[in-house]
Amino acid sequence: MAIIERSSDILALPPGAGVARAPMGVFSRPRAKTGWRSWVSTVDHKKIGIMYGASSLFFFVIGGIEALAIRAQLAAPGQKLLSAALYNQVFTMHGVTMIFLVVMPMGAAFMNYLMPLQIGARDVAFPRLNALSFWTFIFGGIFLNTSWFLGGGADGGWFAYAPNTGVIFSPSHGMDFYAIGLQITGIASLVGGVNLVVTVLNMRAPGMTMMKLPVFTWMSLVTQVLLIFAVPVISVALFLLTFDRLFGANFFNVQQGADPLLWEHLFWIFGHPEVYILILPAFGIVSEIIPVFSRKPIFGYPFMVFSGIAIGFMGWGVWAHHMFASGLGPISVAAFSVSTMFIAVPTGVKILNWMATLWGGKISFTTPLLFSIGLVAMFTIGGLSGVTHAVAPADTQQTDTYYIVAHFHYVIFGGALFGFLGGFYFWWPKVFGYFLDDKLGKVHFWLTLVGFNLTFGPMHILGLQGMNRRIQTYRDGYGFNFWNFVSTIGAFIIALSVLIFFVNIARSKRGAHLQSAPGPDPWDGRSLEWSVPSPTPEHNFDDDPVVVHFDDWWHRKYQADETGRVVKVHEPEEIAMIGDGSRAHLPAPSYWPIVMATAFPLIGYGLIFNLAISFVGGLVLLGSMVGWALEPSDDEDQLPHGHDGNGHDDGDDDHAAPAAEREEVTVGD
Amino acid sequence: MKLRNSGLVKALLGVPILLALGACATDAPLDSLNPKGPEADAIQNLVVPVFAIAAVVFVLVEFGVLFLAIKFRRRKDDDSLPVQHHGNFKLEIGWTILPALVLAGVGAASVFTLFDLADTPADAQEVTVIGQQWWWEYRYDVDGDGEDDIITANDLVIPVGQPIALTIQSRDVIHSFWIPALNGKRDAVPGRAQPLTIEADEPGVYRGQCSEFCGLSHSYMRMRVVALAAADYKTWQDNQLTGADVPQEALAKKGLEQFRISCSGCHLASGPGGDADIYKGTAQVSGAAPNLTHFASRGVFAGSIFDLWLDTNVNGEVDTEEIGKIFNVADVKKWLRNPPAEKPMYPQGGRGMPNLQLTESQIDALVAYLRTLE
Repeated sequence: MAIIERSSDILALPPGAGVARAPMGVFSRPRAKTGWRSWVSTVDHKKIGIMYGASSLFFFVIGGIEALAIRAQLAAPGQKLLSAALYNQVFTMHGVTMIFLVVMPMGAAFMNYLMPLQIGARDVAFPRLNALSFWTFIFGGIFLNTSWFLGGGADGGWFAYAPNTGVIFSPSHGMDFYAIGLQITGIASLVGGVNLVVTVLNMRAPGMTMMKLPVFTWMSLVTQVLLIFAVPVISVALFLLTFDRLFGANFFNVQQGADPLLWEHLFWIFGHPEVYILILPAFGIVSEIIPVFSRKPIFGYPFMVFSGIAIGFMGWGVWAHHMFASGLGPISVAAFSVSTMFIAVPTGVKILNWMATLWGGKISFTTPLLFSIGLVAMFTIGGLSGVTHAVAPADTQQTDTYYIVAHFHYVIFGGALFGFLGGFYFWWPKVFGYFLDDKLGKVHFWLTLVGFNLTFGPMHILGLQGMNRRIQTYRDGYGFNFWNFVSTIGAFIIALSVLIFFVNIARSKRGAHLQSAPGPDPWDGRSLEWSVPSPTPEHNFDDDPVVVHFDDWWHRKYQADETGRVVKVHEPEEIAMIGDGSRAHLPAPSYWPIVMATAFPLIGYGLIFNLAISFVGGLVLLGSMVGWALEPSDDEDQLPHGHDGNGHDDGDDDHAAPAAEREEVTVGD
Repeated sequence: MKLRNSGLVKALLGVPILLALGACATDAPLDSLNPKGPEADAIQNLVVPVFAIAAVVFVLVEFGVLFLAIKFRRRKDDDSLPVQHHGNFKLEIGWTILPALVLAGVGAASVFTLFDLADTPADAQEVTVIGQQWWWEYRYDVDGDGEDDIITANDLVIPVGQPIALTIQSRDVIHSFWIPALNGKRDAVPGRAQPLTIEADEPGVYRGQCSEFCGLSHSYMRMRVVALAAADYKTWQDNQLTGADVPQEALAKKGLEQFRISCSGCHLASGPGGDADIYKGTAQVSGAAPNLTHFASRGVFAGSIFDLWLDTNVNGEVDTEEIGKIFNVADVKKWLRNPPAEKPMYPQGGRGMPNLQLTESQIDALVAYLRTLE
């Protein structure tokens, strides 16, 4: 199956001989299976996924506190809770945090954990790169947030329009942290993107053709392709900004002939695909959850896949709808207005197909399903308000008002976050081996739904009443008082719901031993991750699964009887894998990814404060490259006897069995 | 159905529970659904049907989801499998094409309106609008000789029933000029000159607010359009074309001296009673500060955050003869005492007015002088 494995004989280093056991004499090979060492050295996609999830929740709390500060400041007119300078930092960092450090890594958490399981692989294509991607992201996130203690956060908005981000207009180091911090998380996204695309394309189990991939995996693939093409654009923009700020370049210096619209174009060519990067993984999650709890297959699988791909393509042709008031001229505006309207078509197809999946089903109202239905209902509102500002003349009244704030919160919170929250409840037993409490989960859902609508619903009204975005305060007598107060109450209800989510996690974990074990397949699932024990064993699959159908796992449990009626023929426990991994070959853990990742923030601090620190960072980067290169991906002392080369790793896997031979092995079970 | 002020349209897109409450909005001077001129009307005529379509889809989807969830809920002990539909090609093609057709209609209407709004009427009067941190300047070339004859700030004064072709510029960062009752917004981008047409049907004051984030005082960067009947506009224009009045009383004369010491580094009051001969230019990053030649003819000051003329005197009493005619001495003094305390600014970096450390007697003199600049 794996192209990489077949060619690996050529690429592989000779095992053992001539290769340093402790490269550069710095580290001995990590062996720990538990404890903090196992986490910092892990290359296991599941542990990395869990760490992505945990860090996204951590940053979610930080971004949430920033949101509460904003709402507290705006609760009444003329308040002085936050100064204008601080308010600008808080709303900027709220946006940056929620987009780059919460929603993106939360998506990455699901993609990392689930995508290899759904395609029947043992890990991602490049496990050590996967670890590098995570550590780079988390250090980038920490780097961004240390700006609070080093002169103040970024204050130019997450969109950072030039020339307001120049040194003259933003003299603190905040925007430097923004430019370099996002550069670092961009490296993480790019590395992750390449890794996951290669994984989906090359590491699918026998029989898992592209049109049998679960919808979540498809949406992950589209997301990662978008990332690979979108991130370089903002990288370029951020480099220009960094050079302007730190080295006196003139890319955005109007006096020297620069056109500030250059930044707007670069930012939104990245920024609009970014919206789909945020939402598509959640669309994928919902497309997994709704069929399971309706006990029906997803309605119109090809339409779901192709509408996702269509969104991915069309997402590149709509960026200037963020710039309808920028003065592009009527022809450009007309083109982008129309293209923006038509991107609503594939999105609408998805909504209707989810509804058709519910149609005729036997719907169980579990917490994951509630969140999924919540997504369908709430995202629709965001989609409709989106169409109203695709109407360019109307957008000139709406853009930069709270109407837009309402719109994108319905899309990103009501869309992406609802999907992820549903995903947490859905896959929690698979990941940790115990359920999250369903009763508390429902409290969580209803509080979230009510708080969310109370917070962001009134913003539609405020925006149409002319309340601008990004204002630190507003005047009495503009009709803004009442709905702002309601919105603030809503924000605190959301905070309460988040608290309940964390209580649920803590209580469910504490009571895990009292629960009946979820078993491999607690929800009567459809895709391959439900065919392995819960929690997933380190090696995922005892043997490579062989896939015959879309929803293959479901088809193993249910088959048509003589009369053509579909009936259950196997209980999941009878046919699930038992978790015996003696034949599995896994890539060995490594310290090099985390070491290499520490280099990026060091270089960043150095650029801002003292180049000597950058020099140290550079040495760390070079050293870790050498160490990484000299470290074989297999720990020679830990290889199982008679390993069959079944694992998937950095490409230097030795003696890969020919695909046909392995198929013989696996077909037999 | 008259949807303008009902608030209903807004609420339909919000949360159904809030629907009834949505009508609470009464006094909202920035309301974007309350057009007072032909350009804003054109947008309104487009927006209302689009909102109506969106409301229909909203109701269909939301109640559809609710209906499906209730109708197809799994009953207790029902362990049977539902029919396993995998899809319906015709249906799905249908609900791909139908929304596309509706959107094509909306798109066409929107493109027509867009091009209509982009046309500048031939008889339009031109005014240049320049944004900078954190106030707006307006320049009028009355005789058409290429030199601006009127330079004013904060209040954009226009004649009613006359299309005004604005050319919007910026001297520092991106701002956005927006008077919701008259038209949509247009960004003021440094290095560019961007057109926007506005027209007011009725005399009145139309409020606006800078709507592109522009730094510290973004929320305090407000502006007004004052639309005057033709005769009043002529009076206003004639007055603006004259120079600053020569102060007569002793305190105001003292104020002019003080103005030359403390203010003329940035502010210009031109004409016989002004400081043009000793105007030193400006220490601002933007290179400009409000021209004060006719300061007292304006309704607002300091980026439109304070009213310059009040209905009530210092004791809070209203004299019907004096409504809107009482000089707002208190706020002008407050402003002169410490501007950065009233409005977040960064004067140490040349962005905004610094605290000039004026004494109370200096402030009294300045107020007396400023009052003469009608």
